[in-house]
Amino acid sequence: MTPRVVLRARDLRVERRSRRGSFALEVDELELREAETLVVLGPNGAGKSTLLRALAGLETPARGSVEAFARGPATLVFQRPAALAGSVAHNVRAALLGRGLTRREVASRSGAELTRFGIAPLARRRAVTLSGGELRRLALARAFVLEPAILLLDEPFDDLDGAGQAALSLDLRRVIEQTGVSVAVVTHDLRRALLLGDRVAVLDAGRIRQLDRREAVLERPLDPAVARIVGMTNLVRGRFARVSAGTQAYVEVDAQHRVPVLGEWPEGAPVWLGIRPEHLKLDVGRGEIDPIGKGVVRGVVSDGVAVTATIEWAGADLRAHLLAGRGLARSLAPGDRVSLSVRPEHVHLMPA
Amino acid sequence: MPVDLAQILEITGRTLQVCFTALGVALAVGLPIGIALGRRRSAGRGSLALVALINSGMGAPPVVVGLLVALTLWSSGPLGGLQLMYRPEAMVLAQIAIALPLVIGISLAAAGSLEEDWELQVRALGIPARWRVWLLLREIRLGLLAAVIAALGGILSEVGAVLMVGGNLEGETRVLTTAILMYTRMGEYATAIGLAAVLLGLMLVLAGLLTLVQQSGRR
Repeated sequence: MTPRVVLRARDLRVERRSRRGSFALEVDELELREAETLVVLGPNGAGKSTLLRALAGLETPARGSVEAFARGPATLVFQRPAALAGSVAHNVRAALLGRGLTRREVASRSGAELTRFGIAPLARRRAVTLSGGELRRLALARAFVLEPAILLLDEPFDDLDGAGQAALSLDLRRVIEQTGVSVAVVTHDLRRALLLGDRVAVLDAGRIRQLDRREAVLERPLDPAVARIVGMTNLVRGRFARVSAGTQAYVEVDAQHRVPVLGEWPEGAPVWLGIRPEHLKLDVGRGEIDPIGKGVVRGVVSDGVAVTATIEWAGADLRAHLLAGRGLARSLAPGDRVSLSVRPEHVHLMPA
Repeated sequence: MPVDLAQILEITGRTLQVCFTALGVALAVGLPIGIALGRRRSAGRGSLALVALINSGMGAPPVVVGLLVALTLWSSGPLGGLQLMYRPEAMVLAQIAIALPLVIGISLAAAGSLEEDWELQVRALGIPARWRVWLLLREIRLGLLAAVIAALGGILSEVGAVLMVGGNLEGETRVLTTAILMYTRMGEYATAIGLAAVLLGLMLVLAGLLTLVQQSGRR
């Protein structure tokens, strides 16, 4: 059974003009399904906020339409939520203005949301004195007090520190599951996108480049531009080759470098091969499975959890992620010669 | 020729009547214009020129404003047919001309200080239009009351323009400031000082009341 669609944008074009030039967002079709979380991933300036505002009905499109089929309201939480003058409680109650509710109903509904987002102790504080994380919780409480069927989130974790992001994303996940709200969230942060999303749409330069299940977008990006956005940063050009039927196919990057791959492409077809940094294996001693040759370590950066090594291979700079503090990650240094390997199923081919 | 209490009351009453009429009109006209200009999404050349005009109006010498109003109201002027010169209505017009740029300029700055996407954020919550206006006024009320206080101060203490278009006619257009000026010139300093005390007291009470309103919501 296909899930019910709660929001649909069709043939949408939104134009924006500013001193920096004009920008147009064009979306042929975008659907938000009931109770799903759709993540729109894209770099800064891709048009994510514009898309979200158009979905919320806050932008007048030059063409096309946005239709909502939900049983409740749609609301948008902005990247930098506005704190209204007055208390935190007033900020949540304000969202219910003009709806014909009694004072008691307003108080009980807003009180429940303040509790749900852990800011009930701050209810009497002036909203403008809140920290960034508290203000985001207030903005979410203010959105959920409307009992929305559709929630649109613009970079909900931007500017928060690591602990604040983790706490808020867990709370948000819980509330989304409790309420069954359909969510569209835009972000430039790949990790957050992975944490929240059922489906991922990749937006770049005002166009949706790919929209699919999270794993499909991550593992099988349509082109190098999408690949870069979803973190498949190792991109090298080559030609598809198979010595004879039934043998291992490979991509020939140059005379010395070839990468074993799966799949069927015309002999000699120019292709992009994409490898996620976590799938590129390094070894200094005996060769591992399917070695693709040797490379020279150019740089090693660690954030305490992961080590990112940059390796020059076949004239390209490849990146490999290793777990910090383990094995090779403890000793790897610039100048080291390493043997590189990758499983054929981890090599993704795109037409060049 | 000392003044008696009835005269003081009469002059004070007229002062308040003229001031509050002018203030009311200036606020009714100026606040919507100021807020609308402050919340405009893009600044075109036309609106920039208008804002520049308003800003210079905020610093315009009242005597010059009075002269312009007088030129308009004199029998040979464009509004001469109304025969308003040397009447309280002329003083009201002059005070409106002084107060309007102050009201527009300060409310414009107050509205402009809100985040650019403030309306969008409030609209995104589905709040009905008239409640959005209420929220906006609440949001910028400090600035709006500053506009009221500035405008009131400007017209209550003003003398040049009202003298020019009102003429300080006894029982008709004499207000506190023109009376103070007149008694000072006549050397009746005691009377002038007494009237000045009344004027000062009025300003203190009114500004105090407005300040109370302005600061009451700051919790």
